[in-house]
Amino acid sequence: MTSTALSVTGLTKRYGERTAVDHLDIELPTGVVAGFVGPNGAGKTTTMAMLLGLVRPTAGSGTVLGSPIDNPAAYLPRVGALIESPAFYPALSGEENLRVFATAGGQSTARIPALLDTVGLTGRGHDRYRSYSLGMKQRLGIAAALLGDPALLILDEPANGLDPQGVREMRSLISRLAESGRTVLVSSHDLSELEQVCDWLVLIDTGRSLYQGPTRELLDGVIAGLAVVPRRDDDHPVLRDLLVAGGHEVEVQDRRLVVGLDGSSAADVAASVNQAAFDAGMVLVELSPLRTTLEDRYLSMVHGGAR
Amino acid sequence: MTRIIHAQLIRMLRRRTIVAVAVAALLLSVVSTLTVFSSAGETGAGSRQGGTTLEALAAHGGGTEAFVIGASFVGFLVFVTFSALMAGEFSGGTFRALLLRNPHRLRVIVGELIGLLVAAAGVVALAEVFTFALSLLVAPGADVTTSNWFSLDSAGAAVGDYATVFAGVAGWAIFGTTLAVIFRSIPIALAVGFAWAGPFENIVVDSWDAGFRYFPGQVLGSLIRGGTIELGIGRAFFTAALYTGVAAAVTLVLVSRRDVTA
Repeated sequence: MTSTALSVTGLTKRYGERTAVDHLDIELPTGVVAGFVGPNGAGKTTTMAMLLGLVRPTAGSGTVLGSPIDNPAAYLPRVGALIESPAFYPALSGEENLRVFATAGGQSTARIPALLDTVGLTGRGHDRYRSYSLGMKQRLGIAAALLGDPALLILDEPANGLDPQGVREMRSLISRLAESGRTVLVSSHDLSELEQVCDWLVLIDTGRSLYQGPTRELLDGVIAGLAVVPRRDDDHPVLRDLLVAGGHEVEVQDRRLVVGLDGSSAADVAASVNQAAFDAGMVLVELSPLRTTLEDRYLSMVHGGAR
Repeated sequence: MTRIIHAQLIRMLRRRTIVAVAVAALLLSVVSTLTVFSSAGETGAGSRQGGTTLEALAAHGGGTEAFVIGASFVGFLVFVTFSALMAGEFSGGTFRALLLRNPHRLRVIVGELIGLLVAAAGVVALAEVFTFALSLLVAPGADVTTSNWFSLDSAGAAVGDYATVFAGVAGWAIFGTTLAVIFRSIPIALAVGFAWAGPFENIVVDSWDAGFRYFPGQVLGSLIRGGTIELGIGRAFFTAALYTGVAAAVTLVLVSRRDVTA
């Protein structure tokens, strides 16, 4: 097995004057759960469609599971995908739909009951697809993607339109799918969800790559500020005034103060805050770094023009 | 391609679909049988605009005459049905979903069409059986003798009728598929199909007789009838083959070259 599940170079798609994907390079190691992040119109769906042979690239080359992307027939049998939105025959039941698609792909229909169980649709498999809720449709889409027991899953906004419970279930499902060693490429607008489930990230904007690599590498070591909590509630406003007077940027969040770094190191600011509290006779019960979130990091990269 | 055909047949051969289609075939058979027998005159033209004669009904092959005439009028129904079914595959995303399992685009579209045509072949056969049975029931009331209907010649005529009707149905199906592939939208495909094969062709041929020989819908109607006085079976078959060949080529080129974005 190749150690790279997916690798593309210079992937480009132009529609007339508009460039949807602009010389995009992506390399996904085998076995990662990769989040594909970008705002609306960033080119995520177009990129996925090119990887799946639905849209022809204007330029670029690469491989998926070791086969060239201009020959999708060579690798698609080992790829499961849910792109744009689940597409099934409304008059057929969930089980019948899976049977139709398994037959079309030459895949075994014997796994259908197990797949319905995997996605939590046991007992609803014989109901017509048109009676399904949005969450059930998405889950049936995942089941269809799993029909061929794929080595690579490409999921385009699988949690789109789901309620918080549905989003949580989808996250749990993706985590379980990844446990079996599959490579998963999943796009989403919900960065907090991706942050929890993905160990690899591909960030794009306006069709270009902003970052790709381990999630930890992007987020670790980047501290957004310090959380400070004095032991006594009465000290809260006093400490805030002291810190503001000392030139710190302070934001009040519930019972804690969030002190910005403003270009200084976290250690220097922590020492300054601790000294100010000590001098005022206060005891701190918390003085801890605030890790940056994927959303903060992503927005700073998009708006900061980081490439 | 056989996988796609098989997948289509899984959709088509569900009990609910079979019952619905059988009921529709029965209703059409009833309407065409009653209409043909009640309107049959002593003399008549072999034209698409004309009906048939009592003499023709009593002759060899008379038992399937109502089937042929009825089929020439429901070709348009086949056209819009295929347009709607195939356009629905594009607008509903199921064509895209099929390509994710079977990336050979031409095999998928041809397989889908063949799968639907296999089902249509069954419906046509059912309709022929229904109209023959209904004709047997109605014939005595119309003073039509049925003794000639059970000869070897009649069996041959029935097979010939089936072949020409199915050829016409296949032609309509290909035109419907082409329209669906061009527009990839059920309402647009149906609107264009209705406008062309409905009012446009029929209004124009009222004032331009040559339209019977050139308009696709009229040509397929003549083919299903086994030829008319305006257009013989040979030329109807040749013209229909030419038109459907062009339509099929347009369909295949579009499917193979266009991005699948729906």
